[in-house]
Amino acid sequence: MTTPLRTRPLGVQAAPVAEQTGAVGAVVASLPVSFAPAGSRPDVVALAGTAGWTDAATDAVSRGVRGVVVIDPVAEDPSALAAAAAEAGTAVVLDQAWAGNPVLEDSVGAARTAVAEALADAVLLDSVAWGRPGTDPEVLLTRHLAAVLACGVELAGLRVIQRNANGYTVIGSLPGGAPAALQGITSSSVPATATVSVLTFTGRADITLPDSSAGWPAEIRSVTSAGATAFPTIYESAHRHSWRRLRAAVDSGTPAADLERFAALTALLGQLHDSPH
Amino acid sequence: MGILGAGPVTQAIHLPSLARLRDILEVRHIMDVDPAVAESVAARVGARFSSSMEELLADPAVEIVAICSPHQFHATQVIAACRAGKKAVLCEKPFAMNGEEAAAIAAVSAETGVPIVVGAMHTFDPGWLAAESAWGTLPDQVHTIRSSIVLPPNPRFEDFATEIVGRTPPPAAAAAGTPADDAAADIAAAKATLTGGIMGLAIHDLPLVRRFAPDFRAVEVLHAQTVQPFGYVISLRAGAVAIELRAAMNGTWEPSWTFEAIGDDATLSIDFTPSYVQAGSATARIRTAGSTTVLGPYGHNGYEGEWRKLAELARGTGAAPDPDTLIHDLEFALAIADAAAACVDAGAAAYEEARA
Repeated sequence: MTTPLRTRPLGVQAAPVAEQTGAVGAVVASLPVSFAPAGSRPDVVALAGTAGWTDAATDAVSRGVRGVVVIDPVAEDPSALAAAAAEAGTAVVLDQAWAGNPVLEDSVGAARTAVAEALADAVLLDSVAWGRPGTDPEVLLTRHLAAVLACGVELAGLRVIQRNANGYTVIGSLPGGAPAALQGITSSSVPATATVSVLTFTGRADITLPDSSAGWPAEIRSVTSAGATAFPTIYESAHRHSWRRLRAAVDSGTPAADLERFAALTALLGQLHDSPH
Repeated sequence: MGILGAGPVTQAIHLPSLARLRDILEVRHIMDVDPAVAESVAARVGARFSSSMEELLADPAVEIVAICSPHQFHATQVIAACRAGKKAVLCEKPFAMNGEEAAAIAAVSAETGVPIVVGAMHTFDPGWLAAESAWGTLPDQVHTIRSSIVLPPNPRFEDFATEIVGRTPPPAAAAAGTPADDAAADIAAAKATLTGGIMGLAIHDLPLVRRFAPDFRAVEVLHAQTVQPFGYVISLRAGAVAIELRAAMNGTWEPSWTFEAIGDDATLSIDFTPSYVQAGSATARIRTAGSTTVLGPYGHNGYEGEWRKLAELARGTGAAPDPDTLIHDLEFALAIADAAAACVDAGAAAYEEARA
């Protein structure tokens, strides 16, 4: 891949928490033609996705930045931000730990095709998200659901079966009626990965989405009656991929669909209710 | 050795395992209610055959009895084998169908001094045993357990292990009835699948689950659902421990059988080999942040481990399994099966209420 010669890199400014959680300095350093650290007047800003991030991003849009990256956003209604960004022509990209993995990008067809083919014949979706002890289960579930949706999975009838400080179990169904089980687990012994497994009548498809703190590749494997296929690996973190998407959106003037997707995710989370148990 | 029941499990699992242990165990008598099957299977190992339990138990050449008959006969046959003065008894799981039967078995075992081994093969798997020796204080911190079983239909592996005789064909699908009949039949089928799945499949790992769930009597099933064509999704908790059970027996060629016990800073993960074939032991991994200890694989599986244990007991060496442990394992499985069936009823009632 050859990087196009650009007139100048976009200046980046990151809020301290965003710098830490999004490894912004290291990521920007790995895209030296596209980005550079900015002084007082940044072209793009990085914000932490903690509570109130939609207001903070809207403020940044109103200050005239050309792009905003939000690291690990918690569930919030992004509609006002989306409207403000559309009016100002500001690109907003959500840097989500698993949903932002490059292997799930629309243009990378292999993963989505493997999952789509498995979903057409699915008997069970079994997905597990791992977080460090102390991770808020609501935050973990937001990341988790975002990842499952980014795999092209449609879920209905979601309800919380159990939740506590160590995780949660959410049950729903796939369009064909097969059960879907999402489990969140906290432990420091396992990296913060997410797995999405679709079992079918004759095989399965599995996606393992890595911790975004390094460039570990996602793993995709499909099993059919003909055999097993491992898909090509992409050694790029979700963080770096998000910044590449931001640069592309700024250059093209075509807004990313992140906020639209996040609105769907937030709506789904809003429909979640606890099981009578 | 004498074996009661000569179906596919005896043919494809036990006889191939025993064929690897000819220096310590010898099959001398095979019983099956189908005399043709009994004769055919016995001929493979040069054993006598019969079609009655009494005949096998009266055979003085039989010192150890293995009970591989349908579940409902287990308790009666275990008790009869103990009273027949045999040296040890192996009973396939479940070794009884209710707590009263289990208590009666334990009492007879104590009275006669005949040790009983229940065929929970994963508890005899060298990979599991190695993990047990290495996991230290892990059970004190486990808050979540996962058991996930994905298996091809049994005949795929049976046919790799032996040449089966007397295989029972799968039951034909029921004819369609009225909508009300169909709804009732669906509920009954779901309950039967869950009960069969727990007592026939999950039960392999429930003794493992119980090692990490000390409050097993507080078990509460939160969700139970069937998976096509056969399987289950069951969420439960026992005290503070969350337990998730998944299973699918579909048309895949690739088996996957995993058990995980997860704590705040350590995790045990075990990959078991498929039943029927001689594919060695499980591989266990004990993980902490930045470190993974791999145990196994070893050269034999849990079935062979069962037989080695049984031979030790018959020779008077080795400690017999604690009868209370066997009873508690059974009570745990029965409680989950009952509660899972109740979940189906509760779900059906909620659906009817919503419709009203």
